[in-house]
Amino acid sequence: MAKTMVIHLRTGSMMSMDSNVAVKLALAALEKGYDVRMFGYGEGITVIKEGQDPKRFPNVGKELGELAAKGLTIVVCETCCAARGIHRGEEVKGTNIGSLTNHLSKFVKEGDKMVTIAR
Amino acid sequence: MADSILFIMTKPPYGFEEFFAGARASLAMLASGLIGRSTLLLVGDGTLNAVAAQDPAAVKMPSNVEAINDLADFEGEVYCIADDLKSRVGEVTIVEGVKMVSWDKARELVSEHQMITTF
Repeated sequence: MAKTMVIHLRTGSMMSMDSNVAVKLALAALEKGYDVRMFGYGEGITVIKEGQDPKRFPNVGKELGELAAKGLTIVVCETCCAARGIHRGEEVKGTNIGSLTNHLSKFVKEGDKMVTIAR
Repeated sequence: MADSILFIMTKPPYGFEEFFAGARASLAMLASGLIGRSTLLLVGDGTLNAVAAQDPAAVKMPSNVEAINDLADFEGEVYCIADDLKSRVGEVTIVEGVKMVSWDKARELVSEHQMITTF
């Protein structure tokens, strides 16, 4: 039975490499056969916003959509989204807006390891 | 499969949102019914969140004391490193229900929990 890694991301899609590290970590874990769950909280919710268009940096939203197609489960906090003006229907295909109670708790329950990426 | 999570709280109150966000995440674990034990451990500047004489209305921020009290309603445990708080503000009245502990106890808490995250 595959082990499950939980990535708890709390920094946003730009201004640091944290989200890029989260993407690379998720990809590496998927390639090693892990089930990978990512939960975005606080500024970490910005990674799922559709329409990101960085000119000189990796497009985290696009990369997460690609990873979702490879099996990554990614959910971000709805309350944090609402606070930042992001609503359901604005997320990258394959990513999800959910909640701490319904999703992060489930990820923790299912998880074997948790990695927190934050500042 | 995990049934316990420890939230290590490192940020001071009100200059950051981390404590409130972490306390709410911890509460969500308990409220979900999926996680049996969800505990806060206040270390370093995070110990300042245990000071009873907080006045969040002055900065129009949500109350970290209420966040601690909400955890108590769900039988969530809150521990604070006594030496870290004393070295910052001396002897002060702390929020009711917060248990003042040593670093030895903190190490025990780390060992007792299956998942650990930091705020």
